[in-house]
Amino acid sequence: MRRSGDALVLLLAGGVGSRLNLLVETRAKPAVTFGGIYRIIDFSLSNVMNSGFARVGVLTQYKPLSLMQHLGTGEAWDFTGRSRGVAILPPRTGSKDSDWYQGTADAIRRNIDFIEAHPTNEVLILSGDHIYHMDFDVMLEYHRSKKADVTVGMMVVPKSEIHQFGAGITNKDNRIVDWEEKPQVPRTNLASMGIYIFDRDYLLRTLARNKAEVDFGMHILPWAIENDNVFAYPFYGYWRDVGTIQAYWEANMDMLNHESGLTPGKWQIRTNFEADRRRADWAAARYCSGSKVNNSLISAGCTVKGTVLNSILSPGVIVEEDAVVKDSILLKGVQVGKGAMLDLVVSDKLVLFEDNCVVGFGEHHDIANRLYPKHLYTGITLVGEKSQIAAGKKIGRNCIIGCNTTAEMFTDPIVQDGESLQPDK
Amino acid sequence: MLRPSTLAMILAGGRADELNVLTYYRPKAAVPFGGFARVIDFALSNLMNSGIEQIAILSQYRSYSLINHIGTGASWDMIGRYRGVSILPPFIDSEQNDWYRGSADAVYKNLDFVRYHAPEEILILSGDHIYQMDYRDVIDYHHEKNADLTVVCKRVARHRAYRFGMAAIDDEDGEKGGKVTSYQEKQENPEGNWSSLTVLCFKPEILYQALEENQADRSFEFGKDIVPRLLSQNRKIYGYKFHDYWGYTRTVQEYWQANMDMLGTSPLIDMEKWGIRSNLDHRGIRDNQPALIGKNADISNSLIYNGCSVEGRVTNSILFPGVHIGPGSLVDNSVIFFNNEIGKNCTIHNLISDVNTSYGNNIEIGFETGETSKKIAIVGWNNKVPSGTKLGQGVTVSPSLEPDKWVDQLGAGRVLR
Repeated sequence: MRRSGDALVLLLAGGVGSRLNLLVETRAKPAVTFGGIYRIIDFSLSNVMNSGFARVGVLTQYKPLSLMQHLGTGEAWDFTGRSRGVAILPPRTGSKDSDWYQGTADAIRRNIDFIEAHPTNEVLILSGDHIYHMDFDVMLEYHRSKKADVTVGMMVVPKSEIHQFGAGITNKDNRIVDWEEKPQVPRTNLASMGIYIFDRDYLLRTLARNKAEVDFGMHILPWAIENDNVFAYPFYGYWRDVGTIQAYWEANMDMLNHESGLTPGKWQIRTNFEADRRRADWAAARYCSGSKVNNSLISAGCTVKGTVLNSILSPGVIVEEDAVVKDSILLKGVQVGKGAMLDLVVSDKLVLFEDNCVVGFGEHHDIANRLYPKHLYTGITLVGEKSQIAAGKKIGRNCIIGCNTTAEMFTDPIVQDGESLQPDK
Repeated sequence: MLRPSTLAMILAGGRADELNVLTYYRPKAAVPFGGFARVIDFALSNLMNSGIEQIAILSQYRSYSLINHIGTGASWDMIGRYRGVSILPPFIDSEQNDWYRGSADAVYKNLDFVRYHAPEEILILSGDHIYQMDYRDVIDYHHEKNADLTVVCKRVARHRAYRFGMAAIDDEDGEKGGKVTSYQEKQENPEGNWSSLTVLCFKPEILYQALEENQADRSFEFGKDIVPRLLSQNRKIYGYKFHDYWGYTRTVQEYWQANMDMLGTSPLIDMEKWGIRSNLDHRGIRDNQPALIGKNADISNSLIYNGCSVEGRVTNSILFPGVHIGPGSLVDNSVIFFNNEIGKNCTIHNLISDVNTSYGNNIEIGFETGETSKKIAIVGWNNKVPSGTKLGQGVTVSPSLEPDKWVDQLGAGRVLR
């Protein structure tokens, strides 16, 4: 039972997330599958639901179809009812503005009519890109008690990582007195999580001031810190930006580690099971005689006849006899043929690994991908959706097999470490 | 086709005494089955996959679990302008104040509901069986023969016939079906060898009349009273011969066997292929994270749903959502319902464990001492089995047992109340 009004929630879900490479070829980053059954955005949406907030706008831009289908009516997160709801807010062409969203603040500015149509005292702005568990209602109480104009969710990160974030310097009252956006030389280890609570009237005034200010971190916050009351809300706990393949793989593997603190079940993270519009529900996962499964996360609808070690399987994955899947993440409906060996593979949905293929071959984990050396450099091989990996072929480390690759395209017996195979587009 | 022409009525009122503690608090149709679903999901999914979406469910025994499970009917797409599922409980009015006195009486008492829908055919089903059937084939045959009643039957061995309503069916259409020439309910040595599966397709006016006439009788069952009555009136009754899997769940042994029919290299029941849906909101099934299989887990020939965690051994078993198996424990030939917690170093054979039950450490279940014909142990819901307890084969433990009622050792076949 709420004793005070909630805040309007605006969820920024338009980012490309291009460092996720093939995983964002057909969908936006928030719609990428995580932890077997979830989408990344489920964490933000469920946090909103569990905080008791129920009016949400989701700002989309990049490849929104998968995301829109996933949101559905919002019923999965209890956003249905006469005064509850989730609205999808894509960019619109108006009388003057025909541009796409230019940045986070610009995206909010173009939806001022939505904010005005939902009168609340505060507006909560967050992104759909992160894996975490947070009670926004406590943050809202904090915002009110500090009489802040803006409150920024912040957490301590290693100084070596601060260059990826907005960094805030606070006084002893947690008031932010200085701000640096993605500083090369760190002066603090307090990083912005991209979660803001604004007083609504303050937000509207700020956005009206100068339309050239398109980004919260770059423009809006530094000005507000200099002129008004901006407070840091300290967060302690599990929080990951899974914006790279490496971070995505590591955070998935945290699901297997009791000490990691990543427990979506306990956090009551909800997902939309009906988005697939399947005829049948996924049945219970089948572990056949002779199968071996250890230290793994197995979703309903899987069938395991072979061996699965330290891996995450989404619904409908089939692992045939004598196949071995190790340290891998296999998304929905992947089939691993007899005798196939997968080691350190991230495979998008509906990929067919034919019999006896070897993916993640050899020991040269350090030969980075030639086309994307900053995306794949630790040995992970990435396979795009609906690909076929030809029987008996070997694929090395840090390789990229593009979406919709067919078995005939494997002309050589080996795809060498760091190489890529992409169908012509 | 906007208005549906078929009205389906599911008989889900029964308790099935022989299922014992599993049906103390729920009707048989709502008993969990298959790792996440309920028995009635088979009838409901068959209806959905047959394009029949106007459904009534007749329910009177401990209806809550069933009502909760059906929800809005959206899980089976039974929601919309001409689609819906209505639960019809018994009621009192100015003329009568009885419970449903039998399956036929239940339909009779709701004839105003039936007539309001003005169906072209009425399909009467039991909600108690595990099978896949396209009812459109039955309805097509019913119309092809211009039958007053079409009864779906399956061939059974003579020695089992005494338990069923048995029809003799001629070979008018070979293996597809034929005219019903005789029918006997639960008798030794019946004439026919086709057992009725309680899938009955009626011409509405014929059904209305038979139900009216039946009100003068003392028994009100479709199998025992309505079918023989129509036969004696020389109505046109056809048998539709069904040749595929049929799972009974009337006794603990049958129920356990039907569960085991989901396992093995070529399972007899394939819920995925059959297109079975459940209500994933019920007990928050959909909110479970994928199953976490531990470093030393050892799983073979088993079904495990989301929300489980396994650190021990699981063989030939079915685990519903939220079952946790501790290290060093073995669960074998068992069916463990929702939210069971099994501690360390337990050895469990041939157990059906109802929801919300927890087992301490070093528990043994299913050992052989003493005489018993029963093989399967059942433990009712909301129990806390103390560490070190030994339960013999085929024991029965009542739901929500008081802590001081537990004994260190219970011999095979014994009952703990």
